[in-house]
Amino acid sequence: MSIRIEQLSKLYQGVPVVNDVTIEIQTGEFFVLLGPSGSGKSTLLRSLAGLTTIDHGRISLHGRDVTELPARRRGVGMVFQHYALFRHMTVAENIEFALRVRRVSVAQRRRRREELLQLVALEGYDARYPSQLSGGQQQRVAVARALAHEPAVLLLDEPFGALDAKIRVELRDTVRAVQRRIGMTTVLVTHDQEEAFALADRLGVMQMGRLLETGTPEQLYRYPATRFVARFLGAANLFLGDVSGQGLRLGAATMAPERAAAPSPTGSEAVLVVRPEDIEIATSSEDLGAHEFAAGTVSALTFAGHQQHVSVQLDELSGIEPATARDAGEQSITVDALRSAADQMAIPLQPGAKVALGVRRVHALPTPISSFNLMARSDSEAAQLEQSPLLAQLVSSMQARVIRRSEPERDERLEAGICVLPLDEHSPAVIAAAVARGARRVLCIALGAAAPQRMLVQAGEGVARADLLALVSSVMRHLPIEATAVTLQHPLASRSEVVETQTALLDTRAELRSSHGLDLRSDRFLGDLPAWLNSIVAQPEPALLVLGLDGTSTLAPRLTAEFPMLFRGGGHTNLLLAFGRTP
Amino acid sequence: MSATLLRRPSRRQVLPGFGLTMGYTVLWLSLIVIIPLSAAFLSAAHLPPARWLQILLTPRVLAAFRLSIGASLIAAGINACFGLLIAWVLTRYEFPGRKLLDALVDLPFALPTAVAGIALATLYAPGGWLGRLLAPLGIQVAFTPLGVTAALAFVGLPFVVRTLQPVLGDLDRDLERAAETLGARPWLVFRRVIFPALLPALITGSALAFSRALGEYGSVIFIAGNIPLVSEIVPLVIMTKLEQFQYSEATVIAVAMLLLSFAMMFVVNGAQLALQRRYQPRR
Repeated sequence: MSIRIEQLSKLYQGVPVVNDVTIEIQTGEFFVLLGPSGSGKSTLLRSLAGLTTIDHGRISLHGRDVTELPARRRGVGMVFQHYALFRHMTVAENIEFALRVRRVSVAQRRRRREELLQLVALEGYDARYPSQLSGGQQQRVAVARALAHEPAVLLLDEPFGALDAKIRVELRDTVRAVQRRIGMTTVLVTHDQEEAFALADRLGVMQMGRLLETGTPEQLYRYPATRFVARFLGAANLFLGDVSGQGLRLGAATMAPERAAAPSPTGSEAVLVVRPEDIEIATSSEDLGAHEFAAGTVSALTFAGHQQHVSVQLDELSGIEPATARDAGEQSITVDALRSAADQMAIPLQPGAKVALGVRRVHALPTPISSFNLMARSDSEAAQLEQSPLLAQLVSSMQARVIRRSEPERDERLEAGICVLPLDEHSPAVIAAAVARGARRVLCIALGAAAPQRMLVQAGEGVARADLLALVSSVMRHLPIEATAVTLQHPLASRSEVVETQTALLDTRAELRSSHGLDLRSDRFLGDLPAWLNSIVAQPEPALLVLGLDGTSTLAPRLTAEFPMLFRGGGHTNLLLAFGRTP
Repeated sequence: MSATLLRRPSRRQVLPGFGLTMGYTVLWLSLIVIIPLSAAFLSAAHLPPARWLQILLTPRVLAAFRLSIGASLIAAGINACFGLLIAWVLTRYEFPGRKLLDALVDLPFALPTAVAGIALATLYAPGGWLGRLLAPLGIQVAFTPLGVTAALAFVGLPFVVRTLQPVLGDLDRDLERAAETLGARPWLVFRRVIFPALLPALITGSALAFSRALGEYGSVIFIAGNIPLVSEIVPLVIMTKLEQFQYSEATVIAVAMLLLSFAMMFVVNGAQLALQRRYQPRR
């Protein structure tokens, strides 16, 4: 293991910019951290280099814990976006800087310098000053300089960001070739998806300080776990579909899931990802080679060199529901498709043409939160819910749909997505009614409270751990707050009981890490559940409480009797409840 | 017909043409700088060279030159050190009262120099706040070259701070980060990376402070005590000669001073250029 980062957090004015990130990077691996600006990727890289302080966590390089070491003693080489070459030194002096600092002899320094200049294909440039070199050449000098002291890892912070397109690709290939040749463990930060794909052995996507997902470029592109990653790594059509025993259903098409991994329960709603290149377009449904899922009208064609972008407006009643929030006033659903040159030759298209759409491949996101179901008693209450900081943040970062469930559809089942309701003294009854109609996830929002600053998870009883973790990870990925798993321990617990609860906690963390790539804090509370809940409600910071419960038929009285402190109204503790399957 | 169509459109510029702006530049420079300086030269030119030397080589004038140049150099040196420190603190750290401190730097600029002179004189006089504390240590500031240096350091400080501040602010912090990851200790980072980058600005600022000190009059006369051969600066000698109606002597000294300033400017600009040649982008 070359790099090991454990639960690294960095706060800026109380808000985590890097939030409990845990990564392991193998020796010789090229790891790319990808994310939009402000996602915390550069901060993470800087903390790895020791250039910024961290608030929590451990970092080790090649098995050596370097958390407390200053940058100069970590043995890392770093390359910056704007080269950061010393302008008053020649290329040779720049490259030899690290060696001079280490008092290496002149002869050895020269040998190493020549070696490095050859590596980056800049032989004979020794005596030039940085100002006499082009941007691409300067960055190559910077790479050579960063490698001079044979660092344990090479860190590159948006190294190609300041270069123009052609040089960028050229230098990218150089860096990749150099990295391969010397087998250097490398971490590169970028916001450019194409760059990430071209370079990465493995990549991690960051958003809001969280490491959302890690995997090979292909894994993440084909099997993303979040809407964000699905869309950040290329164009994606996101639909609501069904997962059932027969497979994934999208509109008229049903197909077996490509990967049996989809942890969503059977007979439930899921978010389906369809890449534009996986959509087949034909003039009639008989000509389709793939499963037909809808029909529509070509609305726009865009030339893109070797490919063609096709926008197709779906017919009404196609039965296709988008998984992302639709703009107000937008009536029809548009599907983006990508066609190869061969397809363009075979079936020429014009805007306005009627076409049948087939789907070659779909992927179901493992998130249980496919949509938010507002259980509001009035329109104003629904608006209040939508405007609450917690729901607004979740909806915007998940890019998920909010559906208002009105009263008359009493018999409608509520298995899909997550039910959202205001938290007050009526909540127990509403929750019980929802659970009776099949709801398994309920979010109770304390109206008027500020955005929660911490998320506390208590597994409780009755819920399968996998289900709870799927829900927890989905929420964690979309809120910039610290998440903590809490175990309750009786003050007079025996030693074996203590060991048991601790083991359970470690198991939970390990499972979250292995199946979702996320990490959370752990904490222990001495006392029973009511005592713990009372202590949280009494604290001044707003919190999001995640509880697993048994969905029994006597739910409403039980909630009122056991957790009166949660339903008093006017508080600032939000509640996320996960229920076990009702018998 | 086709010829007019193919004619290259003349490039439009923000300011009116080169001729007009250049004309104004020359006129303005002449009125403000060149004509008064030439007048000084002309009025001194009618004296024979022997008389020149005779005037300049009197012990009193020589001592004044020695003090003026020496004290200005020392003051510029002091300002270089503390100006760098102040500029560093003002740009690198965020602390309550930073804006106020920043404004205070300009005070020597804004203050009438005579006010500064009186203030310094009262402060350092044997009975003054600081003078009283220094007297038991055997240090006398007022009416000595030390006092002259103190006054000159006071007026020159803003020059160094104000030239360094923007450069320090624009300095890429990644340079330090890079040096750090390459294994340099903080002091080495400063010495090998930050200081060389600041050097051109530091030289400019110190040179400005030096030139200012050389010509300073108002703030010095009160604290210097103006004892011939001890604490009399060149501008004061010129003033004294004028008051005694020895116009030609005054002019000769003035011209010598002028030439000296020119020489200094050449040296400094030359050093600057040499530094820039080495590592500024050539475009």
